[in-house]
Amino acid sequence: MYQINNLSFKYPKNKEKTIKGISFEIKEGEIFGLLGPSGVGKSTTQKILTKLLDNYEGEILYKGKDLKSYDKSYYEEIGVGFEMPVHFSKLTAEENINFFKKLYKSTIDTDKLLKRVGLYEHRDKKVAEFSKGMKVRLNFVRAMLNNPKMLFLDEPTNGLDPHNARIIKEIIKEYREKGGTALLTTHLMNDVDELCDRIAFMANGQIAEIDSPKNLKLKYGERKVEIEYRDGEGVKKESFNLDTLKDDESFINIIKTKEILTIHSKEMTLDDIFIKVTGVSTHE
Amino acid sequence: MNNFLTLLFGELQRMKKYNIFTAAILVDLLWIGVLYFAKVEDITSLIPIIVYIDATAMSMVLVGATLFYEKQEGTIRTLLVSPISKSDYILAKIFANITSNLITLLLIYAYGKIFKEVNLNLLGLIGSVVLIAFFHSLVGFLLTFNTKDFTEMLMDMMKYTFIFSIPVLLEQMGLIKNEIVDKILFIAPTKSAAVLLEATAGGVELWRSLFALIYLVAASFLFVYIVLKKFHEFQVKEGGE
Repeated sequence: MYQINNLSFKYPKNKEKTIKGISFEIKEGEIFGLLGPSGVGKSTTQKILTKLLDNYEGEILYKGKDLKSYDKSYYEEIGVGFEMPVHFSKLTAEENINFFKKLYKSTIDTDKLLKRVGLYEHRDKKVAEFSKGMKVRLNFVRAMLNNPKMLFLDEPTNGLDPHNARIIKEIIKEYREKGGTALLTTHLMNDVDELCDRIAFMANGQIAEIDSPKNLKLKYGERKVEIEYRDGEGVKKESFNLDTLKDDESFINIIKTKEILTIHSKEMTLDDIFIKVTGVSTHE
Repeated sequence: MNNFLTLLFGELQRMKKYNIFTAAILVDLLWIGVLYFAKVEDITSLIPIIVYIDATAMSMVLVGATLFYEKQEGTIRTLLVSPISKSDYILAKIFANITSNLITLLLIYAYGKIFKEVNLNLLGLIGSVVLIAFFHSLVGFLLTFNTKDFTEMLMDMMKYTFIFSIPVLLEQMGLIKNEIVDKILFIAPTKSAAVLLEATAGGVELWRSLFALIYLVAASFLFVYIVLKKFHEFQVKEGGE
């Protein structure tokens, strides 16, 4: 879908480049996660791909053609979901949706989607009366209303309760099953784990790591099992090599003779990989 | 429906919902009040002055108000990733402004015709308002692009008004009577605006009307070019630099 080759970008007022020669590919039908702490160039990359910024170096091919050669019709094919509210607050949800729908040649049945995300019964309310979560869901409907081939999502579940976050994630998965492609930017590693086929971690304007979540966990994880058991009056904790576990007498002895409190494989979480690869905390 | 019309009707709908039209109608009623209390029956010379103020100042204010609303609510971001051209976006705002200015003109003209005496060429007035509001909406865009918030934009608009509008207004009201000043004021686009409106009452030399018309048309073309160019910088900034 996208082939990004040696992409660099510098904001006119900055001395240093925000993006420093990154190359990656977004394959058709995949959900690609672009991750990293604030200020490393994720949003800038997304803005370049959505044609909000065009003064870049390097090459971006969309469906094999230079992105710069596309005109406004490019926006017929993409949907952009923002983290911040992007609706006219004194208009109702339906008035907002109808206005944006009229800008596109092809649109979906938005009533169906509004029902799915639990906003249909609130469609006649002004957006100003919406809660944060309702605005996030409305942003999602806005991004999907032109039935995009490519979807850019920035923190699509941020501010949502678990029930509504689950609904949004289900819709994103269904979108992929129908052949849709998405670029996801989020700090919520659970969402990444659940949704992304491949992820790229960005640090200091460069791609520090790129692979599937599973491969990254295998690459960075320790092949160990940690076991916690009761030993007399106290509690003991020991680690064992996962590869030699079946022949490890000491491990087998503990399993057979001790009261086990916890047992965990030391697989790395995406949170751990995030911190390790980018060098910063996800709370930044 | 093409996207220019969608954007234009969207602008008009929002001007209604955000009470911008209501505010404009209140201002119109204020002007009608001024005309009501005017001690003269023939208000032919007063209407061009009122229309001049409305088509210059209100055009700039309305562009600033709607653009800053869009910035504040984040809607500009989603519009920038929609299949619309920047010229559609800019022209929709301008023509929404012109609609508001024309409503003002028609209300005031109708009041004058029904309750007072007016001898103005209505078609000439409509054409002049369209041109003056078009140009001043473009000025409004430039002022908005170069300011951080609506208050700062209003301050810049006041500067424009003091430098370009008030001297012309004083001359129109007969408070400045000097041939040299009259010629110097032709540098300002507001002078051409005033001359075009004055011409709808007749008695204006042809060269003055023609100069004013050519000046505003040429300045509008130039400003369209500048606004389109500056819009790109605005797009980068509002896209979230």
